Amino acid sequence: MDMTTPVYLDHAATTPVRDEVMAAMAPFFGARFGNPSSVHRWGRDARVALDEARERLSACLGARPDEICFTSGGTEGDNFAILGVARTLRTHGRTIAVTTPIEHKAVLAAVHQVAIEGGGERVVPVNEHGVVDTEAFARALDAQVAVASVMWVNNEIGVIQDIRALAQQAKRMGVVFHTDAVQAFGKVRVDARDTPFDLLTISGHKIGAPKGIGALYIRRDTPLEPMFHGGSQDRGRRPGTENVAFAIGLTTAAELVLAEQDVEHARLTSLRDRLEHALRDRIPDVVVHGAGAPRAPHICNVSLPGTDSESMLMALDLRGIACSAGSACQSGSVSASHVLTALGVAPSVANAALRLSLGCLSTEASVDRVVDVLSTLAAKARGPVPAFT
Amino acid sequence: MDTTHNEWEGPQHGERVLVAMSGGVDSSVAAAMLVERGCDVVGVTMKLHEDGSDVPDRPCCSLDSTSDARRVCERLGVPHYVVNLVDRFGRDVLDDFVSEYARGRTPIPCVRCNTFTKFRDLLHKADAIDARWLATGHYARMGDVDGRRALLRGLDPAKDQSYFLWGIEREVLDRLVLPIGVQTKAETRAIARRFGLRTAEKAESQDICFVPDGNHVRVLEEHLGADAPALSAGPLRLHTGEVIGEHRGFARYTIGQRKGLPGGFSQPMFVVDIIASERAVVIGPREALLGRGLEARELNWLSEPPRMGARVQVQVRNRARAVPATVVRIESDAIELALEEAVSAITPGQSLVLFDDAHVLGGGVIEARTGAMHNADPPRRAALPILAA
Repeated sequence: MDMTTPVYLDHAATTPVRDEVMAAMAPFFGARFGNPSSVHRWGRDARVALDEARERLSACLGARPDEICFTSGGTEGDNFAILGVARTLRTHGRTIAVTTPIEHKAVLAAVHQVAIEGGGERVVPVNEHGVVDTEAFARALDAQVAVASVMWVNNEIGVIQDIRALAQQAKRMGVVFHTDAVQAFGKVRVDARDTPFDLLTISGHKIGAPKGIGALYIRRDTPLEPMFHGGSQDRGRRPGTENVAFAIGLTTAAELVLAEQDVEHARLTSLRDRLEHALRDRIPDVVVHGAGAPRAPHICNVSLPGTDSESMLMALDLRGIACSAGSACQSGSVSASHVLTALGVAPSVANAALRLSLGCLSTEASVDRVVDVLSTLAAKARGPVPAFT
Repeated sequence: MDTTHNEWEGPQHGERVLVAMSGGVDSSVAAAMLVERGCDVVGVTMKLHEDGSDVPDRPCCSLDSTSDARRVCERLGVPHYVVNLVDRFGRDVLDDFVSEYARGRTPIPCVRCNTFTKFRDLLHKADAIDARWLATGHYARMGDVDGRRALLRGLDPAKDQSYFLWGIEREVLDRLVLPIGVQTKAETRAIARRFGLRTAEKAESQDICFVPDGNHVRVLEEHLGADAPALSAGPLRLHTGEVIGEHRGFARYTIGQRKGLPGGFSQPMFVVDIIASERAVVIGPREALLGRGLEARELNWLSEPPRMGARVQVQVRNRARAVPATVVRIESDAIELALEEAVSAITPGQSLVLFDDAHVLGGGVIEARTGAMHNADPPRRAALPILAA
């Protein structure tokens, strides 16, 4: 690979919209532009398309169509799930939200909001590999807990939690269980028929659909107050004119991802292993975070001791390589990851972390190029300060 | 002595330059001029403090300013990054700002920001991205004096900012680029317009970046507590020693200040001294502000240190006229100068900067006025207020 070809290793941040998805959405920006709530033929046409999208997406999750609620994405899904349950159950004496310290900020902030609104929050620790302590989780669940939320695949380190066991524990205590599956969908098997989660968040733009669309799986009879108030769209759960085109985009992307899942899983695993083996080989003190736990194949979080993430991201970008330090931050600046901190990683190591996330744009050549550049930069960081004068 | 300066020399075509971009017109134009020269420009905005949500329209360093810098870079076709220096800036600049006021002094945080943040910490970022050069939008110039790189005053006396730059390490001069110091503000704005930069008409930022409303007491209250000695009542004295009342905390005052003092004197009164150990603020007439000598510490030299008896020009305040002075004492950490004419409001905490014509020799932090004229007659009062014991 040419040393100037850009390499995108940030698929956990976002992915390009797939051609098939663009094609499936296109009619709904043009001839089939109707509002699904309208009585006339344009409305009917859009409504049929939306209902069909809901059916097809439900099939992707082992769900029933009425259990699918289209949202604007992961953050809305997480907030809807946690606040929607907590606000409903607080009149039943269940006022507390339980979560882990390695969740996405959308979950952590929503859980914190539960406390601000008069409830409480409990944070269950993870071990040094990033795996939730199931005994501590069980202890945190009691008759005061409304909702527990645990991310299925961690967005920074890729560690997979045993969602079936955690959901079962929650159910036994009468606690509503939510999982943020934004990074899990398409990477691990997600099926509402064999895993007793009540709520599950997915996001479109991580799987080749546009930004601004996602879905919340809502198991029947889950107590859930709406976030928005308005019309009767989605039976009042999520008022507002539905984004028909994007719902179809999400559905199309989800079907494609599932159809390719086995092949892609093997391909990404092989690329990830190639990447990590080469890095361990070339950079002896490299630290691979979460390596002691089951991990999804697309996320590789490594620390190159002696470097700092912020400088590395700049140096990598100037060499055409895109990755991130943790999750992207609004201002584009970098601070130590709360996830690595929760794993007990020393600040100097956490500040040297890079998240390389593989996906549709990744090839062996791109991985090899990144290994070359990272080894060079790691060696440079070890060397003397450059003398420019 | 041989002093030369060609336009602004430094980086050659193709060399990488890190440009510190605040989001204002000066640094935008610095970047544009370097791009025009054919340099490999990388724009960097420093995040120095947490953005205050209570201050919607910060002139500098806010998210809005960051987006201006980013958009200017986009326009110029160069990359832009944000680096998070909040911790370091807090330690090196903000903490010092607070403790100086607590000691009854009047600090200049911009000097320490230049010394420690911009021209040290940011230089490490330049190292990390292999940038040989660091450029800023300061109105000062680089030149050669006796064959070594030297810092010179900006050509536009109305904009010259060299007073703030005395603290940077001498070695850094070899990597420093100051493109706009050769021109006037009007010329800078004209260049910005020629490049179509959105910052061309942007207002000047006069305030300290972390005191955007000009209310430094609010910052001190946050850090010291509203009941700190520096912010609590103390004796207000005449320069003759007599106590005439109370003030509301000496950190609210600076030497030379006239506003906020009691009236009723036969001539205008000014703060002439702050004695933190006694919590006293001393006021007196204009002539009691005059000093014929001063001592400075925390010295830094951008040239060979001057010898005993050397004649130089000194500036004791931004915008103040430089006056001739003679070195009467010099040690590694202290210097004392005799001024050839009396200078008003020599203020501990402000900078003493030594010049040889346009050449910035170095400077230090003013420790005290020495050999000052204290023999003026006590002013006659128009009406006698009640005197304290």
